[in-house]
Amino acid sequence: MKLLLATSAAALALLGSGCATSVNTVSRSEPQATPSYVADQRVITDSSLGRKVAIVSVNEAKVSGDLLKIQVTLENRSTKPQAFTYKFDWIATDGMELSAPTGGWKQIQLEGRETRAVAAVATSPKAVDFRLKLREN
Amino acid sequence: MKPKFAATLAAAALALLATGCATKNDAKYVDSQGPNTIVSLNSINIQDWNNAADKLVASLLESNVLERAPSLPAVMAVSRIRNNTQQQVDTDALTKKIRVALNKSGKIVTTTTLGADGKVEDAVAADSGAMQAFMAGEKQKTTLPYYTLSGKLLEDRVRSGSTQQTTYTFQLSLTTVKDGLAVWEDETQITKQGQRSSVGW
Repeated sequence: MKLLLATSAAALALLGSGCATSVNTVSRSEPQATPSYVADQRVITDSSLGRKVAIVSVNEAKVSGDLLKIQVTLENRSTKPQAFTYKFDWIATDGMELSAPTGGWKQIQLEGRETRAVAAVATSPKAVDFRLKLREN
Repeated sequence: MKPKFAATLAAAALALLATGCATKNDAKYVDSQGPNTIVSLNSINIQDWNNAADKLVASLLESNVLERAPSLPAVMAVSRIRNNTQQQVDTDALTKKIRVALNKSGKIVTTTTLGADGKVEDAVAADSGAMQAFMAGEKQKTTLPYYTLSGKLLEDRVRSGSTQQTTYTFQLSLTTVKDGLAVWEDETQITKQGQRSSVGW
């Protein structure tokens, strides 16, 4: 009886997790990169997505002289792959949102426990701020 | 009111409430850049052009090669974009988005009076320029491009059982006219897999 219960529990756990596989990584123990981190504020309206995908860091750089590039590092907290969409908005000095000809929602899938960065370059030198939106599929 | 009739009426009201007023097949507007557009396996969708253009523009701007032009904005002409897919597509769906983004960046202006195989985009501008120079008794001055943009679209289809996979590859090169060297090149791929087209991602 005890064996039956244990087997059932293991089977249920396996069913619950699906064929989950997570990503193992290796990197330099003392990173040489010196990113310019951005102090960020977060608004969580989907707590389910917030639990699954964590925002690890936000950093910025200037490309082509005066264009803002933002990189947001995301981590899948679960061992299951997570597919979601994201979108960057760009904001000018006067607070106005800038139209981006190639903007729009983009799809990304993070494997189990994978950490990956999403990045975007503002196509206007007027862009000084950004907003990243994340949405579960 | 009879109980049976009241129950039917209540059920109908609840069903209406649950479904809303629209039926599933009603036409509606969706955001062209939103996540509710149709995903089809057999064609390049609006979001595919958008994503490809976005990645390629970001790559070009990150490369910092545009800063090497002697003056900004540098003049660029769009050369031939070969379509090696099975579809009849207008490659302007890609190049126009790239042109607009580069124009907004202040790094590039595109000439519309020079084109591949002598096909100019704006014939009136080309003719007017020639006419203006003729009337003034001057030799026509044509601003030659510093860069040209060329590329290719590729398609790869594979099938496993009932699952189909289509990969579209978007390749672009930016060449400096003076030496004919491709100073920036990149490609981006979009892969779609499934059994049939769907709405939303």
